Amino acid sequence: MRTKIRYVATALGLSASLALVGCAATAPEGGTGSAPTSIVIDTAFTLETADPGRNYVPTGYMVSKALYETLLDFAGSDESTPVPGLASYTQNDDATVFTFTLDEGRVFSDGTPVTADDVVFSLNRVKGMTESKANFLMEGIEVAKVDDKTVELSTATSSLKLPALMTNPSLAILNSKVVIENGGTTDNTDAAEKFLNTTSAGSGPYILDTLSVESQVVLTGNEKYNGAEDIDFDRVVIRNVSESATQKMNLEGGDSQVAVDLSGDQVAGLSGAVSVTSVPSAQTIFLLLNQNPEVAGVTANPEFASAVRYALDYPALLELAGAGSEQATGVIPPSFLGALTDGVKQDLAASKAALAASGYAGETITLEYPNDYPVGGVSFTPLAERIQSQLSAAGISVELAPAPFTTQIDEYVNGREAFSIWFWGPDYADSANFLPFQAGAKVGLRAGWTAEAAPSIVELATAAETATSMESREGAFSDFAEALQQQGPFVPLIVPGSNIATADFISGVNYNSTWTMDIAELQAK
Amino acid sequence: MGKNTRATRVHPARAPLGGSPLAGYVLRRLGMSVLLLFGVTLVTFSLANLVPGNPIVAALGEGAASNPATVAAYIEKHGLDQPLPVQYLNYLLNLFQGDMGVSLRTAQPVASDLAKAVPATIEVAIGAIIVSLAVGVALGSLAAYRRGKISDQLVRVLSLIGLSIPTFWMALVSFNFFFLQLRIAPGSGRLSPILSPPPTVTGLYTIDALLAGQWVTFMDAMAHLMLPVFVLSLFTIGLLTRFVRTSVLEVLDADYIRAGRAKGLSGPRMLFGYTLRGASLPILTIVGLAFGSLLSGTVLVEAVFAWPGLGSYAYNSATSLDLPGVMGVGLIVGVIYLGINFAVDLLYGVLDPRVRLA
Repeated sequence: MRTKIRYVATALGLSASLALVGCAATAPEGGTGSAPTSIVIDTAFTLETADPGRNYVPTGYMVSKALYETLLDFAGSDESTPVPGLASYTQNDDATVFTFTLDEGRVFSDGTPVTADDVVFSLNRVKGMTESKANFLMEGIEVAKVDDKTVELSTATSSLKLPALMTNPSLAILNSKVVIENGGTTDNTDAAEKFLNTTSAGSGPYILDTLSVESQVVLTGNEKYNGAEDIDFDRVVIRNVSESATQKMNLEGGDSQVAVDLSGDQVAGLSGAVSVTSVPSAQTIFLLLNQNPEVAGVTANPEFASAVRYALDYPALLELAGAGSEQATGVIPPSFLGALTDGVKQDLAASKAALAASGYAGETITLEYPNDYPVGGVSFTPLAERIQSQLSAAGISVELAPAPFTTQIDEYVNGREAFSIWFWGPDYADSANFLPFQAGAKVGLRAGWTAEAAPSIVELATAAETATSMESREGAFSDFAEALQQQGPFVPLIVPGSNIATADFISGVNYNSTWTMDIAELQAK
Repeated sequence: MGKNTRATRVHPARAPLGGSPLAGYVLRRLGMSVLLLFGVTLVTFSLANLVPGNPIVAALGEGAASNPATVAAYIEKHGLDQPLPVQYLNYLLNLFQGDMGVSLRTAQPVASDLAKAVPATIEVAIGAIIVSLAVGVALGSLAAYRRGKISDQLVRVLSLIGLSIPTFWMALVSFNFFFLQLRIAPGSGRLSPILSPPPTVTGLYTIDALLAGQWVTFMDAMAHLMLPVFVLSLFTIGLLTRFVRTSVLEVLDADYIRAGRAKGLSGPRMLFGYTLRGASLPILTIVGLAFGSLLSGTVLVEAVFAWPGLGSYAYNSATSLDLPGVMGVGLIVGVIYLGINFAVDLLYGVLDPRVRLA
């Protein structure tokens, strides 16, 4: 009898425990009847640090954007013209000197005012940290204090890209006094990263509560913030959810309110009270055809590149990319200055003629690509298979050679791939980001394309880089993109979409090519 | 008693290490484990350095990596200009001081990264092994006792299903079903976003929450454990069920079991006191191996449930060419396997005196 009682008691205890577990599992996160004051954002982390000067990856940019402010900013999703951030600016006629005047009354999260000294320190800190991935952003820029509220940035040659550069969250303005007290310097001995990973020292709408680069970042509202944003959510949890299917289910199930990395297909299958912002991203997926005969053999021929360019059925390739994506009209994506309006159309007769002129004799060409690194939800394996099929129909025999990203990237950056699929995204919102595609520059050399091989392209790129007015600049970039489309060893394929899905009570999602979205702009409807 | 006497009589001149047979056995196993650990460090270091790719580009980024002065300074700072044997020696020397290097990806000491990742995986693995043991032993024993009957056939089919279902798929399906459809399981992660982790003592949220008296956090952590534990335990349940069935069937044919039955022994006393005890050694082996593989093979399940454990850390380290991180994971997995094997060997000795005296 006592044994039976013991069994019954145990069973009741277990049942109670399970019930409690169930309650914990389904407990709502906020109270009932009140507007939520906290949100959860799910994204696949690319996060290494909360030190803005050392960050160079998307999730890090999103976090920095919430914690810190930059001299300039973009309004909403319009990345064409920088607008005042912590400062407004003027420039001289040849675009070599930019004078920034700080807003009156702006303060850091500890209440101290933002001064010119903070600007000089913050920018020179990035310039001094040569091991920082963001260091190149300050290349060729000199910083000088004019007075307590004014700073002058100068370059040796015209640099109309500089205002756009100053929107990059890596060039955020830090509280210099606090950072110096915690190991900050303007040379390579800077040791403030550890401190900045625990405490933010900026003037942004949020402050850092906790940071784990593996699992989650928690931000809370900055009580001293006196900028333009009016934040609705006092607490923001950014979680590392690497699997996009899990992001989708978390959003549909109400465990999160924002999912950042859904593919076009997943967005199409969303159910429940959610809304989606789908826009073309700033990434360009392209084919590379190496022009170095030692690497590429017979295919190192501009005519062969033309044959490939005209053989492809671009709308059919675009089917793989889903919502928000577009055909790449050139190496410059649609939202950037100088982007072409129309992409290449399939022309099998032109392809056949170019193929005959290239001397191609039916050899099998190897197409290399990273098979574990989808870009904007586009997996490269089905894309490569479709390209293989289309080129085969045009008489070009292709074999596929997939490999993990980490092993493939070294071959690519060192120009050892004859024929491959890669992608390129901007570091800041300016078309100057795409000049590396010119002959003799970084991406051009990856395709074995030397400056001597295409001097006219180099001239066009130089004209675009040194333009001193926006009108001449736009024309120069257009000419550069057009010439590259005709003669270059690249075949731009797809600009994948960026799909940000939110619970339908959230508005204010504005895609940005650098920081993905500004968390402070998210509002409760 | 009789066996012990016989053993000492056979080897009268050999004084056991440590003064007693068990102590000698432990010392021998410990020495072997240290040697194996040394081998693990060598293999891990060699493999990490054989990986194709350029970790300097991964660490510095393309911009800084194109600056020769920056690259030279980086190489010198991290001792990458030294010959590989010297680098290995330095690695070992640092290791003896508890320094596993600094992760290129997180910029944190690898030891500190692992101190966060390992408990997350241990927590889910312990849960999975407890569930697997309870269910696997029960089902395996049931199938053995009812050999050839419908319940036996059913258990064998179920165990085969458990072994065959792809874990990644099962994780997605169960998350969809229990979280999204039925709403009886929580979302991904170790805790609900509204809660903060309990003060770290063990790194196991359930234990730490209990130690801190945070009942709500404990229940939430338990709730978040349910699905990962369920998914991970399916394979182990299938494995254990089959091994338990086989082992119990062998023991059931033994003379002492027949004799016990003839004398009227039956029920739980027969099962736990004699049958399972006799079948315990192979079961122990499988449990050890399964626990080891649970700790090191949870990458896909951790990805689905956004569980920041060892599998996620290993994957992220490998895909970003974070060699110190990769070596740290290799070493910790080696230590875990050796530790489990060591514990299993000791338990062999405890359970069966013939082993420790062999």
